[in-house]
Amino acid sequence: MTVVLEFLRFAQRALVAQLTHVPPLDPLVRQTYQAGVGSIALLTMLTVFAGLNLSVQSYATFERFGGQDFLGMFAGIGGVRELYPVMAAIVCGARIGANLAAALANMKISEQVEALEVMSIDPMRHLVAPRLWAVTIALPLLCGYANVVGIGASYAGAVFQLGLDGGTFMSQIAEYVRLPDLMVGVVKGLVFGWIVALIACFHGYRAAKRDGAEGVGIATNRAIVHGAVVCIVLNLVISWLLYG
Amino acid sequence: MNWLLQPLATVGAITAFFIDVLRTAATRPRYIGETLRIMWILVVRCIGPVGLAVAPVGAVISLQGLDLFRMFGLERMLSSLLGTAIFREYSPALASVMVAAQAGSSIAARIGTMRVRGQIDALAVMSVDPMRYVVVPGVIACAVVTPLLNVMTNILGVASGWVFAVPLGGVDHGAFMEHLTAQVTPADLWIGMGKCVLFGTSVGLLAGYLGMKVRGGAEAVGQAANDTVTQTIVLILVVDYVVSMMLLGADL
Repeated sequence: MTVVLEFLRFAQRALVAQLTHVPPLDPLVRQTYQAGVGSIALLTMLTVFAGLNLSVQSYATFERFGGQDFLGMFAGIGGVRELYPVMAAIVCGARIGANLAAALANMKISEQVEALEVMSIDPMRHLVAPRLWAVTIALPLLCGYANVVGIGASYAGAVFQLGLDGGTFMSQIAEYVRLPDLMVGVVKGLVFGWIVALIACFHGYRAAKRDGAEGVGIATNRAIVHGAVVCIVLNLVISWLLYG
Repeated sequence: MNWLLQPLATVGAITAFFIDVLRTAATRPRYIGETLRIMWILVVRCIGPVGLAVAPVGAVISLQGLDLFRMFGLERMLSSLLGTAIFREYSPALASVMVAAQAGSSIAARIGTMRVRGQIDALAVMSVDPMRYVVVPGVIACAVVTPLLNVMTNILGVASGWVFAVPLGGVDHGAFMEHLTAQVTPADLWIGMGKCVLFGTSVGLLAGYLGMKVRGGAEAVGQAANDTVTQTIVLILVVDYVVSMMLLGADL
């Protein structure tokens, strides 16, 4: 319980630091680059297989009641609204979040954060805020990228492996996947990016000097697991509000 | 040529490691107490995150599935989509991903820490095979615990799907149950369990491999723990795809 309160207080401080001051530009650009470009290779590989899976698996399900012609609609809507944003959040949470938590925990146990405070530099403003902004900017872009790769992979799976008609597939995607659906994906990316970064920074920041090197490992692990669980639950809440 | 040889070398090393693990697991002596201890720790540590991660998925499938099926007036059929999707695909895959995030990374970190502190070498000096005492129990524990957790997540996923379909979505309870029992066969359940064994083994295997490979200090341990998570997720998706294609080919 105290952890939740601590987290809320941290979130409030981070939000104030994030919104009241322009983040220092140099770390912001570097962090955004690391979070965004650094995740592309991993995300591409995952989305290709997730898209192929979505086609192949929903084909197996839909075939039972003769609905395989609607594969395009299902793969498009299910992927863009739900699967790709959540997957991007989990994967990037595992990569970016773990890096953030490890970096901050390392600074914390080597007392670099205290050193900043002594020099009257607010660590919230200089360490946490640029990282939060960086992931909040990077993840929606990655979500958009994942949409493109994922739909391409679903198409490849449906047409080249399952032998469905490519024109039908594409026309269903064009007809049923509308701009609001794409916007929902991007907004989810925005929310997930911020929350993943916040959780990672929180766990990194909580590491104390007495925890030593093990504290870094614990912070990393918690950042990954808590980030993934919170994103999945939050995804349900957002979907419920929008489509319920 | 390096970009080509490097991945090939990694694949070869992991295969050799896998064969080594199999050979060690097949011969005596076995450390059953240690295996049970690790299994218990895994169950306790994973049950919360795995349950919390899979339960919302059933609800989301119900939400989006109802949205789509309403267009054709097929709401009653929702439960067959929900059941097959949960049992065959999402519960095994997601449960394994969370096991990788929670247990895989901590197994890799533990083995890596032992490596860095020289405890692995100390075991070897005492003529206790570190593969046998440290790696194999972890692999077996992951391979056994993941299907067990999958049983729980199957129930949770379908239950949360039911909540969003019947009380909140207005689908008839009888129709929901009828399509669930008519369309979902025991084969779906066993396919899901088989996938879990496969995924769990890969989690334990990669964690052991990356942990044993650690050289250097605390930073390398963190890196190994992190790599375990991302690489296992990739491996799970690739294996999932291959299995799905094979099942489709076998008409299951």
